[in-house]
Amino acid sequence: MSYYDIDAILTEAERVPATFNHTIPLLGYLDNSPSLKAGTTVPLPLWLAEMLALASAGPSQQHSQESTSFTSLTLPSSLSTSVSQALKADPRAVALRDQSAHFYALGVRMLDLFEEPELGDVLRRTFVTRAGDVVMHARKAGSGTDDALGVGAQGEEFLRGLEEWERQLFRRAHDGAKGRREWMDGVKN
Amino acid sequence: MALPLPPGLLPSEVNFLCEMELVTVVPRQRLDPIELLSGKTPALRPPYRADIPLWLALLLKKQRRANIVPPPWLHPSSLGEIVHHETHVDPGAFSAPPPVPSRADPSNPGTARVPVYGDAAMTLSPPFVPSNTSSAPANLLPYHWFEMSEVLLAHAGDDIPASGEVRRLVRDLQEVRAAKMREGMVSLGSGGGVTNLKGVGGMELAEGRGFILGVVDGVRRIGAGAEVSRREEEEEQELHGRAGGGRGDEEEDEEDDDDDEDMGF
Repeated sequence: MSYYDIDAILTEAERVPATFNHTIPLLGYLDNSPSLKAGTTVPLPLWLAEMLALASAGPSQQHSQESTSFTSLTLPSSLSTSVSQALKADPRAVALRDQSAHFYALGVRMLDLFEEPELGDVLRRTFVTRAGDVVMHARKAGSGTDDALGVGAQGEEFLRGLEEWERQLFRRAHDGAKGRREWMDGVKN
Repeated sequence: MALPLPPGLLPSEVNFLCEMELVTVVPRQRLDPIELLSGKTPALRPPYRADIPLWLALLLKKQRRANIVPPPWLHPSSLGEIVHHETHVDPGAFSAPPPVPSRADPSNPGTARVPVYGDAAMTLSPPFVPSNTSSAPANLLPYHWFEMSEVLLAHAGDDIPASGEVRRLVRDLQEVRAAKMREGMVSLGSGGGVTNLKGVGGMELAEGRGFILGVVDGVRRIGAGAEVSRREEEEEQELHGRAGGGRGDEEEDEEDDDDDEDMGF
């Protein structure tokens, strides 16, 4: 992953819910209150939330014995149980882009932070199942038979729901098919 | 700035490699051997057949100085057989490539011949295996099957019997195999995490390379975290095993099996 990788930067800007373990004065504007109370959940960008969750901040008020971090993280709504249940039922039916434009990248980052082997399984199965469809549409698109995209209304709906990794895959598959088609058209000369 | 080309070969480059394949021609005029870097071409003496590279055969065909003999697999019955094999007999795999030349040493049974540089019998890969000449086996698709059939249909359609049907069968075959390649990618997520690309042709690889690499890379990135923790666990177990003075071999074997299943991709 490069420092200037725009997708990595945008992934780190995704919001994840972080619950504060300490009461923090002067940060209340995050929650529209005079001071940020312990136990408040605020959506923070991943790069900030991760730092706060990993850094140690001394003993907390709630559990005065052990030293805790500033915040504790939970899975973002795009990776919640309901989404993973829907993906388990039918990976094609979910518009991943509505959940997060960097769904898989975010999922991989969260898997690094959380011990969730089942979520990893769901992500992998979703990715390969959808990849099959992405490639099929990429091969058909632009061959110019029935309609403009050549994928039909349902296919268009599906393609609109692709997130970034899948869009990249679509582009690569389409480039391959296009190269082959152009060669076939030019073979007569 | 990186080279703005995708990794792998472009279709035009695959086509270029395909033009080195030997094809059989029936010459109409005499032609003396031509000295090439790869050796001399055979002398063309009508009406005797000769095996020459595809690019030369195409040149002579355009000048109406030779007719190309299509390879046996490019025959409607052979192609129909292959389509049947791919769809009914073995729908999970691609049809087998032609066998490599035998490497057995007849003078010393049970051993292989020692490779000698420049020995024609020791060339085992396209374009040096004569898999497109008239002596090639039928019902087996060589590496450059798609390019070869497209080029021959475009430039030497009048030399191919039932070229319309051949064209249709080649299209069918291409669609069947493209669908198979997609299914193979999907099986990466559930099955053993392996897919078989044996028998896939050069042009199919050039077309599919981008997305195959994309899918494999995506699966790798998703599984990377789990893989790291699995390795750490294994190392820890190994350390414990050593500290405990070693366990029974059977037990260790069982654990290895479990780990393999856990890996899951």
